[in-house]
Amino acid sequence: MSTTKTYSVAVDGAGPAEVSVAEYGAGQPFLLLHGGAGPQSVAGFAEKFAATHQVRVLVPTHPGFGGTARPESVGTIPALAALYQGLLDQLDLADVTVIGNSLGGWIAAEIALLESARVSGIVLIDAVGIEVPGHPVADFFTLTMDEVFARSFHDPDQFRIDPATLPPAAQAIAAGNRAAIATYAGSGMTDPALVGRLGTLEIPTLVLWGESDGMVDVDYGRAYAAAIPMAQFQLLPDTGHSPQLETPDQVITAIWDSANTDFSAFTR
Amino acid sequence: MSKTAVTRITHSCHLIEIGGRTFLTDPWFSTRPGYYQGEPIAVAIPDLPKLDGVLISHEHYDHCDLDAFAAYRDRSVPLFVAETVVSTARRHGFTNVTALAPWEQAEVGGVSITAAPGKHGVYEVTFVLRAGSDAVYFAGDTMLIPELADIPKRLGHISLALLPTNGLHIRPANNMQVVMNADEAAELTAILKPELAIPHHYTFTKGFLGDRLITHSDKNPLHFQDASRTLAPETSVRIVEPGIRIEL
Ligand SMILES: [Zn+2]
Repeated sequence: MSTTKTYSVAVDGAGPAEVSVAEYGAGQPFLLLHGGAGPQSVAGFAEKFAATHQVRVLVPTHPGFGGTARPESVGTIPALAALYQGLLDQLDLADVTVIGNSLGGWIAAEIALLESARVSGIVLIDAVGIEVPGHPVADFFTLTMDEVFARSFHDPDQFRIDPATLPPAAQAIAAGNRAAIATYAGSGMTDPALVGRLGTLEIPTLVLWGESDGMVDVDYGRAYAAAIPMAQFQLLPDTGHSPQLETPDQVITAIWDSANTDFSAFTR
Repeated sequence: MSKTAVTRITHSCHLIEIGGRTFLTDPWFSTRPGYYQGEPIAVAIPDLPKLDGVLISHEHYDHCDLDAFAAYRDRSVPLFVAETVVSTARRHGFTNVTALAPWEQAEVGGVSITAAPGKHGVYEVTFVLRAGSDAVYFAGDTMLIPELADIPKRLGHISLALLPTNGLHIRPANNMQVVMNADEAAELTAILKPELAIPHHYTFTKGFLGDRLITHSDKNPLHFQDASRTLAPETSVRIVEPGIRIEL
């Protein structure tokens, strides 16, 4: 069960931006940020997480995704980070864990760099954003949808859809999502300066990576964890670029029971 | 004669009144990602009384929040600190900074301040404040080490002990323990034999994820009270909410 509200959030140097936020459950707060696949790629996970633990999961739709409007003032990953920081301020939340998948992980990293005491930890799930020599992020814009599915999932067949068979409204949303990805992340999906900036972080960080991720490989994930002091890295078996979608149970366990994880098992 | 009293502000930050003077311990007045008191900050910096001295056990942010405490109205207030805190304190504009090594002593308005040993992830000292027959021991967030048994031998009877009890462990550092736990604090209570012991440094949290990935600690001060009943039955243990003033 979820409720969806639209918040008007003040953005520095511009008018307020509207952001649609679905909310699941009550308790320990989490901000869950979707990637290029849009809000429905995290909705099932949010619902399951809230059903199994005392958690309040907030799932914003990044402006421009899911058919929403994107204001001119919000056009970069840092701008999205500032927007969500403003949302957390407005909701007066404390001890928030920010979870982000893919592009959402990049936003989570930028939120951590804002160093708000409201945010107590970040979970990066197959995140993009850094540049790792020899390990480029697959170019979403030159791949066919079939290739995207093949690279994104351990078991693509249960997720594969033929975009041509989608109703026109859904096709329009998919086109909007593509345009939003291009605006926020560009085709490279990286900020060359990010990896250096992450070295200043002191925030508890968990980096989770699907072993079968063909969009962003496992070594890229290890490099992400290595860039953040004290970050812990965990490899998730039998799952791809969106583990929260393909194998939500093991992601919930990896986060909730992380005190019991032997991270040394994933160092190589 | 004025009463000896203590008010917990938060975590290891206390106001200690002794010999008609007022001292602040281990200032912490803000929060940062992954550093939370887990309890209120009972006194804001503008509301602090006139301080006669400030004791700082070590440089960790949750004990030495000079970024915030620099807003205190008088930066010529005497600071008595571990030597590793001196340069930071001067950089924050404090002009009267004295490093005290273990067993070194200073004096402020008839109150003696003696540093005692400590052991933590970094260099740390603890402190004894004495005025007449009353003495307060502030243990910062030290481990229990054999040298602490010298405190009553060298400095005489302790009336009030302020002891950390969460037994903090750092998971990524081979789960190394860096703070005494409830049983060890009770053991120290048995050694110091104060009339009153008050635990501190137990509600601290690194947040949802930090408590899972970075630290491991005992957040229940009743464990110390229980252990003291067995090991130090002569000492009264009081668990004190921030903002409550307790007279000896
Ligand atoms: Zn410390």
